[in-house]
Order: sequence, then structure tokens, then C-alpha cells
Amino acid sequence: MLFVHNLPPVETPFMATLLWLQTGSCSGDTMSLLTADSPSIETLVRNGTLDILWHPSLTEARPGGLGGLIAEIEAGTRPLDILCIEGSLITGPLGTGMFDSYRGRPKIQIAEALARRARHVVAVGTCAAFGGIPAAPPNPTDCTGLQFDRETPGGLLPPDWRSGAGLPVINLAGCPTHPTTITRSLAMIAQGLPLELDGLNRPRAFYGSTVHQGCTRNEYHDYNLEETQLGGRGCLFFNLGCQGPNTLANCNSELWNGRSSKPRAGVPCFGCTSPGFPKDGDLFRTEKIGAVPVALPLGVSRAHYIAYKNLAQAAMPLRIKNRDMEP
Amino acid sequence: MRNLCLMAENVQSDLRQSFLFFTPDFVHARYAGLPLFADIEAAFAPLKGRVVRATLAASRKVVELVAIFGGQWPHSSYMLPGGITRGATARELIDCQDIVDQVIRYYEDEVIGDSLDNWLALDDADAFFSWLDAAPHAASAIGLLTRFARRIGLQKTGIGARHFLSAGAWHDPQHGPAPASLPGAGIYHADTGQLDPFDPALINEHVRHAWYRPYPGGLHPFAGETVPDYQPDTDRYTWAKAPRYGELVVEAGPLAELLTGGDTLIRSLLASEGPNTWLRQFARLRRTGHTLHHMKQHLADLAGQLGTPHYLPPPADAFDNGEGYGFVQAARGSLGHWIQVEDGRISRYQIVTPTAWNASPKDSAGRHGHWEQSVIGLELADPSDPIEIGHIVRAHDPCLVCTVHFVGRSEKHRYGV
Repeated sequence: MLFVHNLPPVETPFMATLLWLQTGSCSGDTMSLLTADSPSIETLVRNGTLDILWHPSLTEARPGGLGGLIAEIEAGTRPLDILCIEGSLITGPLGTGMFDSYRGRPKIQIAEALARRARHVVAVGTCAAFGGIPAAPPNPTDCTGLQFDRETPGGLLPPDWRSGAGLPVINLAGCPTHPTTITRSLAMIAQGLPLELDGLNRPRAFYGSTVHQGCTRNEYHDYNLEETQLGGRGCLFFNLGCQGPNTLANCNSELWNGRSSKPRAGVPCFGCTSPGFPKDGDLFRTEKIGAVPVALPLGVSRAHYIAYKNLAQAAMPLRIKNRDMEP
Repeated sequence: MRNLCLMAENVQSDLRQSFLFFTPDFVHARYAGLPLFADIEAAFAPLKGRVVRATLAASRKVVELVAIFGGQWPHSSYMLPGGITRGATARELIDCQDIVDQVIRYYEDEVIGDSLDNWLALDDADAFFSWLDAAPHAASAIGLLTRFARRIGLQKTGIGARHFLSAGAWHDPQHGPAPASLPGAGIYHADTGQLDPFDPALINEHVRHAWYRPYPGGLHPFAGETVPDYQPDTDRYTWAKAPRYGELVVEAGPLAELLTGGDTLIRSLLASEGPNTWLRQFARLRRTGHTLHHMKQHLADLAGQLGTPHYLPPPADAFDNGEGYGFVQAARGSLGHWIQVEDGRISRYQIVTPTAWNASPKDSAGRHGHWEQSVIGLELADPSDPIEIGHIVRAHDPCLVCTVHFVGRSEKHRYGV
């Protein structure tokens, strides 16, 4: 039998340097990062996975400050493994980027310069990935995402741009990003583990199922018991704006704060991991053709869906009809 | 339940602001020679200090309460005109009680080194300073913070506006204004100790020195406008508007809330030393104690109301035409929203944030904002590293990345903080 004291310590060869820059941001993704419990950000620092050179909320002041650090990275004298950008990239007014500047220099210019040197660039949140709320019409400050402008490829960086490691910007979409999606993605990148991306450059590991999957209101959806008013137990898809069946995210398979999710709590999924977020319309109302939503569950044909719903409604058991089931 | 969730948010914010934003500035090379420094580093080093790690765990614990009712934290959307999307069951009540009890245990063990009841019973400056002499209190996070802050003179800096605004802490939507057991609204004057009633009609915003389309004087939010108009190289210097209460420059935040709400310890400390940076930070951690107490009380009240309606839908035409406003005690102080609706569409929406009160630039009459007043005349030991300004501004819990401007004796500097 082997005892621990006979063995060499486990080697942790990875120590990835990380710089976290906030652009047009509400800090929601930083708040989400702090909420991640497994792994937590302090664990990743203590176990040597990450060496955080700068984060506006988490690191101590350093000689030369953020300005000195940016200069060293730009000059190539300090290697940067991971650049995290949190926030929409503000290009206004009139293309100057001066709505959002650091020491008189537009942040978009700093982001671009750092991205040129970074091994990996991570867009934390839908703002940095696709533009998000600030880029929604009428987009008064001319915001865009890092490598997408909402659904269109190409944002601050062109579609064919690649980081030092040969990857596009890794999009950790969400408003905010799910807490452990941030910390687990950073750990995977730091350790050089495979990180397969989908067509919108989101890691499949965290964007590989719909929000609908795992929703505790699923039986109400199955049998077509659809609420018309908030506050009830039924499904929110047909009338109250829920985008869970056509949104890719892990909100119902990895609960938020270890407790719940928006749909479980009776709040419609707003589709916040999608490039078109926020949709140009009422987030609490479903656009419909006749009695059926315009946006169907991903990949489902309208004729089949209507047929299925009619049959399902006919099969509805009383316990669903009476809303006996606790979501 | 809405109050409970707001309380949970304020607790996480107060704790994180204190130990992720304010105390990291103590772990600075300039202070390395001071006697308490080893203790400060062990407790407050970013991401590694004992208090910091315990605070990260407690602050992610307390927002689980919001997730139970709202589905997630941050960015939850469960509060509606008329209620919330999901009511509480007994199971959720027990979960919430456990969360609050765990956070109270952290607060007692790490932050104050005493029982919550003893701590809240401290009612004047003398009682507090004798309390601080006892070893467990002196070694607690608030003890360390207080001793070190006072050692570097933070009880003498950051005086500021000397008038405090709070729109009140929490509300009882079914029974009108908040009951007397919850901290109330008001305007508290540091020089006289007088408390005036809070009148929302007196709020007005100036843009004379901000990058917005100019208008004369100040406008009440119901007549307000926010039209960006970037004018570099003029005497306009910020994107922050200048809110004023009548003619007064005021300060918002936990210190204001406890002064108007009647915390006699805080009023006594203000009377003896005036407004200052340490007191502002101290008040924030003191507020956490009050909030945890109210959370327990709210949960006890909720136990008697399980199964009552959690959502009373407003009438269908409620949103066609009209105007309204509301205040909430956000983490950084009183937050006001003003809305006007015409034909079912929002025709005007104005927001006055707590940071706008504190960070405001000069107004049309040339009166400096609260932060400006707090730092003008401040002596800097090393102008290339103005950490004194960092202490003062961070004690207000400003937005994460901010820029402070001030005018030196003969030249103009601009510092990123």
C-alpha cells in the first residue's frame, strides 16, 4: 500500500497569466465570477492555475499600475496567456471610442492591442461576445462585440482573426455568464484541455443543451398547459416570452448559485446567450403565428409541432390541468 | 420577499466592497513598516487573506437566497409590478433561514468577533471604543480595519458635503410607508445634527460641467433630459450629471442611511469627529449587521404568511398613461427612477444613482460635488501614487473603474484610480 508521504507532490505545471479588462460593462460578469463555487476563482489562484496580473476588483495595486502592465504586454516583454474582456466594445462617438477611455486612450484600442499579444482571448458575457444590451437598437454609443456584431461575424476584430494559440475569440456568452462556466473555462484553457467551440465560438461543454432541458416546468410544456399571466406554475413558452426551448445554455442542468434557474422561478428565459440578445421586443411576451410561437424549439417543424401539441393537450392528465405539480 | 432579496444583495455588496475593494489598499508597500501590517496582510491580502476568503464564501452564500426566489444572481428579473413570480413554501423558508444563519455566523466570527445582538446594542462612541479594547473585538475584521484606518488618519480625511440623503431603507408595499422598525428617509445635517423630511420634488440635475446637451440650471427628473454631447477641451469634464437636493450638495450611502435611520452609535461618532473616510466604511459594515437582523425578522414574518398571494396583477390599463417614481436603498445608497408613459410607451425615463450624488461634478452655480469636496486640499505623500484619494473614493463604493479629477495648487492633474 502506498502512503501519501511516500509520493512526490502532484505537479501543477500550468500557471496561466490573466488580464481582465472591463469595457462597456455593468460588472455583472465579475459579480458572476465571484459567485462561482466550483471551482472558485480564489481556488484557481491558490492552486496555481491562474496568475491574475490584473482584475479591477480582485488584484492589489501594482507598481506602474494597469498602464504599466498594458505597456509591458504591448511591448512583448511580459507574456499574456489569457485576455478576458468584460463588456461591450464602445466605438462611439463618431468612431473615436472616447465614450469609454482609459487615461485618454480609447479602450477599444487597448483591447485590440492586448488581443494581438494574448495566447487566448475570452469574451466574458454577451456584451463582449456579441455586443449585448448596449449594442441593441438604437445602439446610441455604437457598441459591438469582439468578433461578432450581434449575429454578424466580425466585430471589433475581423472574422478571420486568430489569437496566439490559433483560436478565435472564445465566447462565454450570457448576461451574465453562468458563474462556473467562467471558472471552468478558464481552468480548461490554463491546463490546455480541449475546448471544442460551436458555430458562435462558444464552448460546447457549456452551450451544448437547451435551457429547456432540465426545466421543472417541462411537464406543463409537454401537455401544453401554457400560462397567460406571470406568477403561476405552468409553462412560459407560448405566451410569456420564454426562449428556453431555443436557447443554448446550461441554466437548468447546472443550477445558478446551486439553487435554481430563471424558468424554475417563474421568469421567462430571455435567451441571453444568443447573439441576438436582447430581442427587439417585449421580453415577457411571445410573438405568435395564430396560437403557436413564431420561434419554435430548435430544429422543430411547424406542422409536426402543431400536431404534437394538439395530441399532447388531449392527453393532459388532471394533475397538470389542475396545476397540482410544483415546478 | 422583495425586501429580503434586496437585503441579501446589500449584504453581499457591503461585504465585498469592504474586503475586496477597500481593505486591499491597506496592503500597500507604503504601509509595510506599520506595526499592524502583518495582521493586515494575513487578513486582507487580495484573494488570499483569511477574511477575504471567508468573505467570498459568505457573499456567495447570501445571494443563494435571491436565487431561491428569483432563479439566479446576479441579473434576476423576478420582481414585477404587483409582486414576484414565485411564492415561498415552507421548504424554501427553511433554506433561507439556514442561509441567513450561516451568514450571521460568519459575521459574528470574522467581522465583529462578538454576537450580533451585543454589537447592535452599542449605542455611542464611548461604548464603541471601550468595546474595541477587548482582544476578540480588536482582532476582528472590523477591529483591524478600524485600528489601521485610524492609524493612517482616515478619521480625518474625506469630509465632503456634510449633508446626507436617504430615501429610506425598505418598503412595505401593502401597508404604505415603512414601519418605524425600519430605517427611515430624511436629510441629515452633520453640523446641526438636524433631520429634515425627504422631499423628492426638490431633486434636480445640472449638466453645466458634464458632456450633455446644455440647459440652464437644474431640471427635476420628470423634466430631465440625457442627450450626450461630447465636448472635449472645454470646462465640461465628465459623463456624470450633478444631482442636487434643492441647492444642496449631498452624500448618499450607508452612512446616510444609518444617520437618517437613527443609529445612535453612528450619529454619536459623526458628532464627535465629523464625516470621514473611516466612518463611511465603518457604517457600511455596521449596516450589514442591521440588515442581517432585519432578514431574520422578515423570515419570521414570512413564516406566518406562507400560502398568501405573491402576485396581484395590476389592471390591464395600468400602463397606458401616467407617471411614477420610486426609490430603493441600493447597496451604494438611495436610487431613484422616474418614468412617464404615453399611449402605452415610455416617453421619458430618468435615473439618479447613488454614485451620481457622490461623484457629481460642479453644478451651474459652480458648487463642487461631494467627492470633489472630499479631496480638494488633500495632501498627497506621493503624487505619482495618490493612495489617499483611493481610500476616500473607495469608501463610497464607487463604480468599479473610475476616474477622479481634482485641481492642485497651481496645476491640473488627472489621476486614474
